Amino acid sequence: MRSDVKAPEVPTTADAAPARPPGRRWGELVLAVAVTVLGAYVLVTAGGIVVPGSTNTLGPRAFPYLVGAMLVGIGVVLAVLVLRGRRGEAEEGEDVDLTVRTDWLTVALLVAALVVHVFAINVIGWPFAAALLFAAAAVVLGARPWWRAALIGLVLGLVVQVIFGGLLGLSLPAGPLLEGVPFLRG
Amino acid sequence: MDGFTTVLHPVYLLYALFGVFIGTAVGVLPGIGPAMTIALLLPLTYSMEPTAAIIVFAGIYYGGMYGGSTTSILLNTPGESASIVTALEGNKMARAGRGAAALATAAIGSFVAGSLATVALTFVAPFVARMAVQLGEPDYFALMVVAFITVGALLGSSVPRGLASLSLGLFLGLVGTDTLTGQQRFTFGVPNLADGIDVVVVAVGLFAVGEALYVGSRMRHGPIEVIPVEKGWRGWMRRDDWRRSWKPWLRGAGIGFPVGTIPAGGADVATFLSYAAERRLAGKERRKQFGKGAIEGVAGPEAANNAAASGVLVPLLTLGLPTTATAAIILVAFQSYAIQPGPLLMVNEPALVWALVASLYIGNVMLLVLNLPLVGMWVKVLQIPRHYLYAGILLFGALGSYALNFSPVDVLLLVLVGLAGFMMRRYGYPVAPMVVGMILGPMAEDRLRRSLAISQGDLSYLVTSPFAAIAYAAIAVVLVAGIWLRRRERALEKVVADGERPRAGVQA
Repeated sequence: MRSDVKAPEVPTTADAAPARPPGRRWGELVLAVAVTVLGAYVLVTAGGIVVPGSTNTLGPRAFPYLVGAMLVGIGVVLAVLVLRGRRGEAEEGEDVDLTVRTDWLTVALLVAALVVHVFAINVIGWPFAAALLFAAAAVVLGARPWWRAALIGLVLGLVVQVIFGGLLGLSLPAGPLLEGVPFLRG
Repeated sequence: MDGFTTVLHPVYLLYALFGVFIGTAVGVLPGIGPAMTIALLLPLTYSMEPTAAIIVFAGIYYGGMYGGSTTSILLNTPGESASIVTALEGNKMARAGRGAAALATAAIGSFVAGSLATVALTFVAPFVARMAVQLGEPDYFALMVVAFITVGALLGSSVPRGLASLSLGLFLGLVGTDTLTGQQRFTFGVPNLADGIDVVVVAVGLFAVGEALYVGSRMRHGPIEVIPVEKGWRGWMRRDDWRRSWKPWLRGAGIGFPVGTIPAGGADVATFLSYAAERRLAGKERRKQFGKGAIEGVAGPEAANNAAASGVLVPLLTLGLPTTATAAIILVAFQSYAIQPGPLLMVNEPALVWALVASLYIGNVMLLVLNLPLVGMWVKVLQIPRHYLYAGILLFGALGSYALNFSPVDVLLLVLVGLAGFMMRRYGYPVAPMVVGMILGPMAEDRLRRSLAISQGDLSYLVTSPFAAIAYAAIAVVLVAGIWLRRRERALEKVVADGERPRAGVQA
């Protein structure tokens, strides 16, 4: 029970300080600058909002000016904080391992899967676009073998189509392949 | 009492059961929460009648509170920081083979405190509503400013990042057509944006897509370790556990409900206050157990958590003022059924309000039944492989936003918001203030401009009403108290996590 020996460098698993990759600071700075730039944009654009002559007190410009000023102010404060080394704490979560580096490839592939899904809906129909999204995302996140993910995705897409499209009347496009199949029409 | 006759109708009972079932499932599953689930279900429930939909949403809201405790007790990974004190005690208990007792005291405590808080809601809400009728436009504006500041400053670990998130939400709320003059603002000439950005897209994008991307970027690999729980009824709570639990339950209810009613950051603050209180009251011998699996440290905070959930409904139903992200989404649900929460809600829609309140009572009973004997099933849910879980979250997120207008534009917008949510999580910006800001922003602007129209531009009108003046004074108090509490919380978390004996003065 010698818990209080002077060894502050040994982090326990519960609150281990996450290893911070050197590139982190730039990303955070970019975000703070983005907030500032958005604020500046709001301030400039707010001046261009047409004010009908009838409003004699607070028109449609006032609140945007307020929001723009807040964004600029906070963005500058954040940029200064980051530059002075006060970084944000990445969010914790049950499935998040803060000790590993950010895997940008996974993020990019997941986004790509979503974008492909969006454009596939009107071409191959919602159930198949959904199956595509599910399978792609699952495989990117580590599902093996790939055909099992595809199978689950297909079943899921069809079940959702039947329940929401067929039974609840949501107009999900079933797509050319399932044209005329009962229960599937949205 | 009419509410009960409505809710006891078999169809509504089924809706309530569906709601609490879904709620518990999303509470158990990491990565999704009640706010996102209600946002997702919004477009899918347009065909339902309002009462049924609201009963489902209330069930999800409550169920999420119950389900979360199961995860933090049984999952063998460091939980979310918001509930870490509870997770720590419950998790330690589970590892010591007392998982069933931890689950039971959490569920029964949630039931006791939830029921007590619902009783309090039943009596407090009409009273507040009667007072709220007398509030004028500047008073409402003052209340909203209070909500902005507290939500922005208290949710999350960093005050400037919370305020940045809030301001981004306010900006999103500006996009669209100005209600008073009909002018388009920040629509970038895109016709789809003339009606404004749909809250569903933003909530689902931030909570679902953002979370999935963030988890994907730092996935915890390896098997999901769930701590096994002993089977059978007998091992759940011993006589000693009951004796040690009932007082924390009641205290938790007493702490949680009032904290929930004031805009002070919702359930997190209540959870922490209850934990700190139990620890202080535990006496010398018991206090040593805190951090190693003290049942009081599970019973109190879990009770406070649920009581606060009911407390949050008081400002929501009587003032139309959401103080948490989930409450903000419920407000949107009301609006989508053309129901305006506020002081007149109880007068205009008594059937709906009392059906909602009654469904909370019924939902509590259902949740107790669902959670205790069925814990084995929830453990199975907890073990869903993460790649399928997050793929499913992405799929349903895309479905929810597509179902809004059946337009791919909404799904593209969803991806953009999701990316923003990912960046915010990565750099410690809380996402909840953004949702609250987006929903409350246009309402606040409306109140502000109407106030100034009444006073013909005289700004002092905003602070001359006694209520508004008190509200602005309260901001300072709440902020200082809130930030002090946060510091204390972190210090305590650290002490508890290190398993040290508390020292006389805990430095921040």
